[in-house]
Amino acid sequence: MKRTFDTGNAAITEAAIRAGCTLFAGYPITPATEIAENMSRRLPQVGGYYLQAEDENAALHICNGGSIGGLKAMTATSGPGFILFADAFGWAVSSEVPVVIVNSQRVGPVSGITGAPGQGEFYLSRYLTHGGNFETIVLAPSSVQEAYRLTVRAFYLAERFRTPVIVLADQMVTDGWETLELPETDAEFHAMGLDVVPRRVHPGPEFYPATDDIDVPPVVLGHNTGAACSDWTPTDRGHDTEDITWQHKHAWRLIHKILNHRDLIDEADEWFLDDDPEVILVAYGTPSRVVQKTVKAARHEGLPVGGIRPISLWPFQDHLFSRKAIYLVVELNWDGQLVREVQRAAVDGSSVHFWGRCGELPTSGELLEVINKLLKYEPLERDGWRTEKW
Amino acid sequence: MSDLLEKYVRPEKNPGTACKGCGLRLAHRKVLEAIDELGLTQGDVVWGTGIGCSGRQTFVTWKGDTFAGTHGRVYAMATGLRLALPPEKRLILTVGDGDAFTIGFLHLLNAARRNVDMTVVVFDNLGYQSTGGQYGVTTPLGSKTDSSPYGAWEPNWTQGGFDVLNILKEAGATFLARHTVLQGHEPVESLKKAIQNPGFSLVQLIYPCVTHYGVQALGTRNLASIYDWFRERTSDDLSADSNTHFTTGIVHDAVGSRVEFAAGLRGFVASVQKGGPDGAAD
Repeated sequence: MKRTFDTGNAAITEAAIRAGCTLFAGYPITPATEIAENMSRRLPQVGGYYLQAEDENAALHICNGGSIGGLKAMTATSGPGFILFADAFGWAVSSEVPVVIVNSQRVGPVSGITGAPGQGEFYLSRYLTHGGNFETIVLAPSSVQEAYRLTVRAFYLAERFRTPVIVLADQMVTDGWETLELPETDAEFHAMGLDVVPRRVHPGPEFYPATDDIDVPPVVLGHNTGAACSDWTPTDRGHDTEDITWQHKHAWRLIHKILNHRDLIDEADEWFLDDDPEVILVAYGTPSRVVQKTVKAARHEGLPVGGIRPISLWPFQDHLFSRKAIYLVVELNWDGQLVREVQRAAVDGSSVHFWGRCGELPTSGELLEVINKLLKYEPLERDGWRTEKW
Repeated sequence: MSDLLEKYVRPEKNPGTACKGCGLRLAHRKVLEAIDELGLTQGDVVWGTGIGCSGRQTFVTWKGDTFAGTHGRVYAMATGLRLALPPEKRLILTVGDGDAFTIGFLHLLNAARRNVDMTVVVFDNLGYQSTGGQYGVTTPLGSKTDSSPYGAWEPNWTQGGFDVLNILKEAGATFLARHTVLQGHEPVESLKKAIQNPGFSLVQLIYPCVTHYGVQALGTRNLASIYDWFRERTSDDLSADSNTHFTTGIVHDAVGSRVEFAAGLRGFVASVQKGGPDGAAD
């Protein structure tokens, strides 16, 4: 194991290389620029291709094009570029093309502040394209080491599910410096629970089977298999069709190939839940680091507090919220996004509360204050714009 | 001619779904003739398409490998795909004037800048016809369409001294030609050169839309009258007045003058791996 001190950007780069990525197309954007820079240095060393696209829309389309040629591809961006992926993301979802997308979230809306972390794309990552009738796989790292692990996972899941996988990080994860352990041998790599699925080539002719099967090889052009892929609703052979029956088969497959194999995707950390604590804090990404520390501090004070950190965000893990409790959802936004899903998923009799921070992390101190109020059933409402309303 | 369709076109797509009398069938055949005359087989070509009449009517017609991109983005996709394909594989894209010259123009320009090996065949029906007939950047000025009921007045890229192909020339394209489908073998000869060019080629192939442009702009449903209008407007002289004519011919032939993108990138990567430009020591 090679022990280094590095950024999440570097971790993501090394993970992509280890997973077999040979194509990166991107557009410079803070705070994800360093991923592009690192890829421009590392890819040629392993015989891969780095391209600077004319915009993010082109970046993901170039990745899609490389992927249907058989290359493993990745792009990385932040919010203003992420929104431009809509077109290409939809194409990859519907054509069932493996590709990995990293979003280092910064505070918004729109361009916002380049150097401050945000969590504004929780829903956008689920619905990064139009038309509905699909499921999305989204993974959220909270540390440099985990950025490595989840990027490798993203490539693994993309190949097995034939779909784009999003690594939803934030500015503190990608810019932050931490200890990073890089496996040097296959044994070390596998010991981390990681694996690589090599690109396979679908032999045809049924490129789009009407099943919920995973491990269907992707459509790869250039092998004269009669491969056909497009943005249109496909027949099993990939022909465009206006037949509603094929539409139903296609939509069913896009949804259920993911929902029916959730055991491969679902991942979460749970802290101090064994004694069914009264209050459960919920967060993903960097704020979850503060939450974890706060839960420990609260336990030290004897408070009945636990914590949940969804690691895979989508499909949403409703089952995590089956304990009747007072949930406190902590996010890096003021409008409340994750909290809406928790509110929907929380078992009857629970109450769900929100603590949002805009462009900056909460402190353990303030979270402990909030916990104490919740334990006394006191309202969280504060002055003016600082209310719990979401 | 039907042999050509049987040879290259999937039986499910023969006959195609274009309107009766549509010039797109002629345009499609010109491309197949060029492929045939070059002796290419279905395994030699990967065929991509865009959105609109041109894309939709030609998608998955090719018996070999084929893909359709979102509107205007197929040039970016082809850039990535080119890196994955063997250099000898021909990459042909049949797209519309809207796909290439408006919504996709940024990507088209950058594909030309990089000199990516692809042959873009723009089936130009003088506007947005699959949506019912609205004017675009190749619609002759004054044309009445559903979105220009008083005549198209926005400056276009084919008249008033402008030529969209000149923009692509400046951007770095290595082969550019324009024809109409009313011409006999000239378009096929240009298409053959375009397909053989190991770099970025574009052939603009103007064809009559009888359902919308014919009715709205030319005021007739008579196929012969519509085709006559296109025939009379076609000039073999590139220096003819583009305000009144479709000026045709090879606009730019710089085949072999620039390094092809994928070849260049492969060479660059190989040089880095050997410790090349400034060394890859790390």
